[in-house]
Amino acid sequence: MTLLAGTQGASGTRAGRRASRPVALYTAASAVAALMAVPLVFLLIEAAGAGAGELRSLIFRPLTWSLLWNTVRLSAVVTVACAVIGTAAAWCVERTDLPGHRVWAVLVVIPLAIPDFVVSFGWNSLWTWAHGFTGAVIVMTLAVYPLVYLPVAASLRGADPSQEEVARSLGVGRVRTFTRITLGQAKGAIGGGCLLVALVLLAEFGAFEILGYQTFTTEIFTEFHGYSFAASCALSLVLVLLSLLVLAGEATLRGSGRGGRVARTGPMTQRITPPQRLGRLRWPVLALFAALVVLALGIPVASALYWMAAGLPPALSGGANVSLLNAAAHTAGYGGAAGVLATVLAFPVALLAVRQSGRARHFLEGSTYLVLGMPGVVVAFALSYFTERYLAGFGYGTAALLVGCYAIMFFPLALVGVKASLARAPVSLDEVARSLGQRRLAVLFRVTARLAGPGLVAAFCLVFLSVVTELTATLLLIPTGTQTLATQFWSYETNLSYSQAAPFALVMMVVAAVPSYLLGRFFQRPAVTRG
Amino acid sequence: MRHVTVTGLDKAFGAHPVLAGLDLEVPAGSLTAILGPSGSGKTTLLRLLAGFEHADAGTIGIGGILVDGPGAYLPPERRRIGYVPQEGSLFPHLTVAGNVGFGLPARQRRGGQVEALLETVGLAGFGRRYPHQLSGGQQQRVALARALAIEPAVVLLDEPFASLDAHLRASVRADVQEIFRRAGTTAVLVTHDQDEALSVADRVAALRDGGIAQCAPPEDLYSRPADPGLASFIGDANLVDGVVSGSTVKTLFGCLPLDPAATIPASAGQVTVLIRPEQIDIVPNENGLTAQVTSFRYYGHDAVLYVQPEDEAGGAGSQPVVVRVAGGTHRAAGPHLPAGTTVTLLARGPVFAWPAD
Repeated sequence: MTLLAGTQGASGTRAGRRASRPVALYTAASAVAALMAVPLVFLLIEAAGAGAGELRSLIFRPLTWSLLWNTVRLSAVVTVACAVIGTAAAWCVERTDLPGHRVWAVLVVIPLAIPDFVVSFGWNSLWTWAHGFTGAVIVMTLAVYPLVYLPVAASLRGADPSQEEVARSLGVGRVRTFTRITLGQAKGAIGGGCLLVALVLLAEFGAFEILGYQTFTTEIFTEFHGYSFAASCALSLVLVLLSLLVLAGEATLRGSGRGGRVARTGPMTQRITPPQRLGRLRWPVLALFAALVVLALGIPVASALYWMAAGLPPALSGGANVSLLNAAAHTAGYGGAAGVLATVLAFPVALLAVRQSGRARHFLEGSTYLVLGMPGVVVAFALSYFTERYLAGFGYGTAALLVGCYAIMFFPLALVGVKASLARAPVSLDEVARSLGQRRLAVLFRVTARLAGPGLVAAFCLVFLSVVTELTATLLLIPTGTQTLATQFWSYETNLSYSQAAPFALVMMVVAAVPSYLLGRFFQRPAVTRG
Repeated sequence: MRHVTVTGLDKAFGAHPVLAGLDLEVPAGSLTAILGPSGSGKTTLLRLLAGFEHADAGTIGIGGILVDGPGAYLPPERRRIGYVPQEGSLFPHLTVAGNVGFGLPARQRRGGQVEALLETVGLAGFGRRYPHQLSGGQQQRVALARALAIEPAVVLLDEPFASLDAHLRASVRADVQEIFRRAGTTAVLVTHDQDEALSVADRVAALRDGGIAQCAPPEDLYSRPADPGLASFIGDANLVDGVVSGSTVKTLFGCLPLDPAATIPASAGQVTVLIRPEQIDIVPNENGLTAQVTSFRYYGHDAVLYVQPEDEAGGAGSQPVVVRVAGGTHRAAGPHLPAGTTVTLLARGPVFAWPAD
């Protein structure tokens, strides 16, 4: 690389001698971006194979419109509900004198570790009225509001509280300071959280299946299982289009609303500002927090315990224990493999995004985010289609394909974690290391990777957590004869064997809780530790 | 212990030129300070020397080896430069000893070499601590030991004392100077602080308009700057009109001896004379220039007065003059010098001068 740069100068290009581009890094990142494009490309190939006429007849039928109406109205209502609950909870925990705010900060995040389909099982198995649109709104809001809470809390923690003090000193009241300054500071985080909520809703399968609510994803799944590939392909196209619209919408909002960043002067250590006093609202707010935790966390856990107790003797029989351990081992194995793979794949792209500039970097990083718009059911569908058509079924039903599918689906999560971790390894340390006679590769191992270590673990945890609670793609691609916690839970649940399903739900919550805890600790620390 | 030679160096970021045709000679064993305001390209120059950036044109030689030039570029890890960045930039995941030994081959890291280096920078016994357990000054000295460990051809320091408290700065500065002097290290230091440049360096290079305006020992740069603009750039300067006659120059302060180093062509009548504020005293008698105080700033160790000289008729004369007196000496004219007070000023030579444009 350095030799190349030298000869470039000798040839006397107009721009003169340029800084050497790390060719290996660009190559690796391009390969990853290509891999991430695979599902979309296969979907388009399959669509082209089905023919325009058939696609048109499959898309423009009454079913599509009813699916579209169901999907869109649910997404809209739940996204707004999550935005309100998540933002309000984050503000109360981070900025007010809410009693026990440290405990609440943990309790309100835990529901993220509970799979959506377990939450819906919890409600639906106890109360039959919890189904359809009403049930879906309640269940999904309680299951995914932490996706808004987490980024908003982080942004409020990182935001400069002196801006609020300045606003107050300029004669702006408490409420208007909140709407004009605080919400402004958290705007990007709220938008990002809502984006995640909307994407989750578009991709959700298990919860809606239990609640008997029909969306694109449940219908694609049904069609796929019924071997109507053309129909599932047509619906997938609409679903992907919907997801990409959501992504584009969020990007546009973010682009237009971005205020210029102002350099923060003064010491880097965060000043402790006195929290806002809740005053008379203290008890009502506490009651609301308690209600939120009971509904989002208490009911799923209590329901699982209730069903387990109801069927105590058979549920804890020897055979069930073995299958439980087996399923847990498979879940952990797939989750671990996918976590490592996704983190490794994310590393070159993150390094590129953090350290390089220019059009090529923007294109490569941006292209990998397209995966966000690919619901799990579509990724699984595209991959199984690929093995069917081009590999004559080779690879289909193998653990490798499933792990690969997970790695692609959850790549954006890994990328977020790895990028955050690389931000802890400033480029100036690399430069010092190189001036001390270390080659690029040695610097990568001795400095960059060492400093990024905790963040890499965080990226791994994010993916692991997502795999544990994943159901849709798992059902489609799991090797025959193998069961994970999620699939075993699912088969018992669909057979209405609630007391046998319950232990799997509990173990899933426990397995998912560990990485959630680690994640919470990682993201609560400040981004840069002073060296 | 190598010399550094830079010729015709160009560097632009996009359409914005930062360095243009910069020439610089750093003699072996010297400590040269690059002095310039922020945004003048000091750090860019240092990064080019280190090899973190590639020059657009021109050459850089370290110890007689071409490290950057047409068809040649040596990556930073092969230049043997000891780089001390602004904040020290210690590796937070390594101990002090781990940091100092970072650039050494693996088997030398545990030897006595690291401890010896720590002793050199006055931190013997600190090897097992972590960077966050050290004060700012200690971190800076570890960064220095880390740079010295690889026995560098030249040490580059980027505003190394800027992040230190004022009282710490002076002592760390003196320590560094002493370490370099003893080891005979060639060092290049960039700073925007003229006091720092003048007090630490053997030679000071003033960076202006993307080039080196003048590179000279501190005393020469201060008392014999290349042009009037540079005189104001380095410290406060009174630039007054004068007429040369023989070895003296006639100014509003009367006849002052001319610095023999000033090269004034015989044909030049009018000259611009440099009188530094501390070359002017307040005197109690009437035999001097009468002036009215316009403002007075007291700093403890010294005091600065802005005064307006009076002409013979008692009206406002020429341009205002800056006067710096040692703390307390102004009491000759009164304990406080409110605006409007009349003082008598006397200038001391020799003074430097340039032919007037």
